[in-house]
Amino acid sequence: MDKSLSALNGMKTPDAPVGATIMLEDVFPFSLHQIAAWPDTMAKAGAVAAKQIGCASAPDPGHAMIGSAGALLRVEPLKWWLISPDPDVAPPKIADTQGAALDLSHSRTWIRVSGDKSETLLNHFLPLDLRDGAFPPGSVASTAFHHVGITLWREEAGYSLLVPRSFAVSLWELLVETATQYGIAVR
Amino acid sequence: MSARRLESGGRIDRTTPISFTWDDKSLSGFRGDTLASALMANNQRVLGRSFKYHRPRGIMSAGVEESGAIVTIGRGNRTDPNIKATMQELYDGLEARGQNAWPNVRRDIGAVSGLFSRFFSAGFYYKTFMGLPPFEWGRGTGLWMQYEKLIRKAAGMGAASREADPDCYDHAHGFCDVLVVGAGPAGLNAAVTAAEAGRDVLLVEQDFELGGDFLNQPGPEAETRRLSLIAAAEKAGVQIMTRTTAFGLYDNGTAGLLERVSDHLPAPAAHQPRQRFWTVRAGATILATGALERSVAFGNNDRPGVMTVSAARTYLNRYGILPGERIVVATNNDSAHVTSDELAMAGAQVVLADARSDVARRDRISVRSGVAPLQVLGGASVSGVKLAQHRDGAWRRAETESCDLLLVSGGWSPVVNLLSHRGAKPVWNAENACFLPGPTDEAVFAAGSAAGIWNVDACEASGIAVTKTAFGESATLPEPGGWQAPIKPLYEVRLPDTKPKAFVDPQHDVTSVDVRLAHQEGFVSVEHMKRYTTLGMATDQGKMGNIIGLALMAEALGKDIPEVGTTRFRPPYTPVAIGALAGRNVQGHFKPLRRTPLHDWKLKEGAIMTDAGLWHRPWYFARSGETITEAYIREATTVRETVGICDVSSLGKIAVQGPDAGEFLNRIYVNGFGKLAIGKARYGIMLRDDGMVMDDGTTWRLADNDFLMTTTTTNAGKVMVWLEELLQTRWPDLRVHVTSVSDQWGGAAVAGPQSRAVIADCLEGAAIISDEALPFMGVASARLKGDIPCLIARISFSGELAYEVYVPAGYGVAMMDLLWGAAEPVGGCLYGLEALGALRIEKGHVTGAELDGRMTLDDAGLGKMASSKKPFIGNVLRQRPELTRADRPQLVGIFPKDRSQAFNGGALLSVPGEDTGHGEGWVTAVTHSPALGHWIGLGYIVGGHAAWAGKPVIATDPVRKGDVEVEIVSPHMYDPKGERMYG
Repeated sequence: MDKSLSALNGMKTPDAPVGATIMLEDVFPFSLHQIAAWPDTMAKAGAVAAKQIGCASAPDPGHAMIGSAGALLRVEPLKWWLISPDPDVAPPKIADTQGAALDLSHSRTWIRVSGDKSETLLNHFLPLDLRDGAFPPGSVASTAFHHVGITLWREEAGYSLLVPRSFAVSLWELLVETATQYGIAVR
Repeated sequence: MSARRLESGGRIDRTTPISFTWDDKSLSGFRGDTLASALMANNQRVLGRSFKYHRPRGIMSAGVEESGAIVTIGRGNRTDPNIKATMQELYDGLEARGQNAWPNVRRDIGAVSGLFSRFFSAGFYYKTFMGLPPFEWGRGTGLWMQYEKLIRKAAGMGAASREADPDCYDHAHGFCDVLVVGAGPAGLNAAVTAAEAGRDVLLVEQDFELGGDFLNQPGPEAETRRLSLIAAAEKAGVQIMTRTTAFGLYDNGTAGLLERVSDHLPAPAAHQPRQRFWTVRAGATILATGALERSVAFGNNDRPGVMTVSAARTYLNRYGILPGERIVVATNNDSAHVTSDELAMAGAQVVLADARSDVARRDRISVRSGVAPLQVLGGASVSGVKLAQHRDGAWRRAETESCDLLLVSGGWSPVVNLLSHRGAKPVWNAENACFLPGPTDEAVFAAGSAAGIWNVDACEASGIAVTKTAFGESATLPEPGGWQAPIKPLYEVRLPDTKPKAFVDPQHDVTSVDVRLAHQEGFVSVEHMKRYTTLGMATDQGKMGNIIGLALMAEALGKDIPEVGTTRFRPPYTPVAIGALAGRNVQGHFKPLRRTPLHDWKLKEGAIMTDAGLWHRPWYFARSGETITEAYIREATTVRETVGICDVSSLGKIAVQGPDAGEFLNRIYVNGFGKLAIGKARYGIMLRDDGMVMDDGTTWRLADNDFLMTTTTTNAGKVMVWLEELLQTRWPDLRVHVTSVSDQWGGAAVAGPQSRAVIADCLEGAAIISDEALPFMGVASARLKGDIPCLIARISFSGELAYEVYVPAGYGVAMMDLLWGAAEPVGGCLYGLEALGALRIEKGHVTGAELDGRMTLDDAGLGKMASSKKPFIGNVLRQRPELTRADRPQLVGIFPKDRSQAFNGGALLSVPGEDTGHGEGWVTAVTHSPALGHWIGLGYIVGGHAAWAGKPVIATDPVRKGDVEVEIVSPHMYDPKGERMYG
């Protein structure tokens, strides 16, 4: 797997001033699989997804659940994403009659944003109410970042942005440029 | 006006002097000054020249309504014109200068235009369109084209820099339960009330200090109250933004804010933006935007030394400046009285000229009852004012008062602009002679003097009560008003049958005469009057002159103001820099750039990139000294003779999965896919509902219920949306999911006679790519060396033996290292879009240039692909009579008659001597064909190849190349039988 490169491979890391209030992280490698259900197989497909990731049940739209093998994100009414920092997670299997599985591990770049000014930075681009009451940890949203559709997931430790790989450098540059005014560190 | 800084008083920090320049003259002020207050403290009187007449102008106000002290600040690429000096915070090193004047605002040659002012009345500019009498009266604009330049040069305001803006600007989104606009007595109380009730509150204030009218009051009581409210707001968790203007209100509680992050600094600090453009969504909005004091129309009411009464109070109490020594205060309401007292206390000689009768005497002040200003005396400064008395139904001349400063209060206008943005029509309140906020069903509420409340204590109560009302609690709202004696409506003072230079809207040089002229010429609607006279347009947005203009129009029409109505205010309330609108969407981020997984690798190998939608794709790979033409001819030749590699990662890729995937593809493609074998690819074309070609590409069957569709780069998004729409709205019964996997895969086309050998060299097992194992249109899963998973499809766009190899995107670079490592030693090349185009034109393969949304299958020569055994989208409407006419354009190939000649894409195809109109067809694409040795093209012509074979045709291109005689040939210009791609 060492021949696989992140879309952000080679991006320059800005100086990390003392007191950085924002941490950016390129999470790589990782695995991302999609399980899609048919309208009448939601329960069965959800159970497959939940079992795969090791959590009790599949989350409702707009939510995520953490399991022993990663996290399960409900990204569309009929679709879940199974995401894990382990790139070698076995692809899920589901009968054609119950749904469809698809490997999307290379289609997205996983950017993690954490720190006190995370919401401030993200709201420079995302028209989403990220206040605790509106978007608590465990929330998932499909939203737009500089005209690009992305998936946003809030964990306890910060936010994960799953951005289309081809746009990753462009959006990363915007994040870094904007975050620099608040103090930024890159992992 | 003879202004001076007092020895003490004001809110300025006298321990921190600040140096600045005015027209290159070094001056000083203090921290806490505005540019206007600092200029006033330095007794600078003439600070501007008017828009049209070049009349000298000075400070007229102390806020956003300023119409006189409009200046340019900064230098070079940080030049910022049309800045209201009253709103510009003073900073060390500030460079300010006058504008719209030569050589300067104090001695302006342009002032000569004032001699001809009678010709420059309302509508003057529009009337010039009719021509210059008597030469071209009413018939044309030949001379106008010349003198219009002079008009434009003479009129106007400041000039922007033509250099690129060096600063950056941010966009930001904010959310709150309650947005409070304005941090005066009402706004602070509203914010505290809302926050203490547990609401998430955002308080915005355009000033650099919180407090609003508290800041203009003398003595410690107001300051103590202000500080206690600020402390309460901070304790309650109110988010406070100063230097931030709410410039517009929009749907669903959305407000536009402009935060001036660095405008009070010589340049933004490192990494800081100059301004932030906020989009704030609020559950409720409380407008505590205050009220603006208006003037009165009388002769020379724009002279430097005429300002509003409240402005003088601000300069006195906030900035510690006595703005004049001999002051006449002209008013029609109580609000001016306290200021008169304070000015007298500060040492000025004050005459209070109240238009109302029987005004009580006041200590230290000479009171004149029943008089109003008629005409200001003086030029660049005020030397006196002629007063008038209203007797027998008309104004009559009264005494003249000598003075160096005339302060005017014609009443107050609540700032209803933001509510007006929401369509709430202001309601006239005759008792207070002002428009009050109109009713609205939205969660937008007005408090304080924005609701017509003039008393500070009542404003505080209003802020609390309005907030409670917003939360559905019961509260007693203070009534509008609050003066002891009623206001006497007063909009204009003039003697009968005179036409004084009385300005209604000084920013646009609109006079009372202009308003009457608009009426005489039939522009009697207030909206028409606004546009004809320019009253209240542009940055002023009716702040100063709207009420007076409406009153004059009402008088001319013999109606009351409510019957005439008012114009609708529009965003922005104050100007917003274009840079702030653009934010960071500039230069390289004007639009997001898409990079393929091979982007950096190609740059390393010398790719010259070009835009392909949002992508950067290689145009060509130039070797040292090569031109683009030499490069693409070399690259295309190498593909035909050896092997070439081209990045095709940008092609759209869509996973089509599910038990009904085959049926779904059958419905969207003109040809059949249901029976496509696993491990096979097929070229397909999809139509729009109207029968026109939408897109094309190959689709690969990877498993029984698993297809990989490819689309053109251009239409990838469009096709994805189209497929989703079909599944969700027309065929929800189909068990099919579509998912974009364009970014999942990185791909390379390997084309040319050596392509099989090159790929074989990269595979873990070469047998999989043998002719038998992978025949034409075959698809296989394989492993590249290093255990890299890949998909290989044997498909050809170039017409050569060719393959497309796809790997998960992260392996893109590894794949290219392998492929190039095998191709380079055998004389292969990397090729770009220019060579790709040459190869496909030679073969007559269509792309977006030919499938431009106007063409049918048959037009493009692809009609035989359409299945007659199944329905598909577009099949019915493609058979409309108009789309099946024999004389529709057909795809053809084009050769120059003289093979040494070239011709251009976009040229029209015509019969020699009949090159009129749209001709008989057009050229869609051209290239120099390395295989044929001359220029060739593709295009469309009526009737196609059969109709024009052997007949003379010209490619006519009158604005570029001229006519070139051409031959119409088959579009399949190279290897027409397609033998080469079978290897």
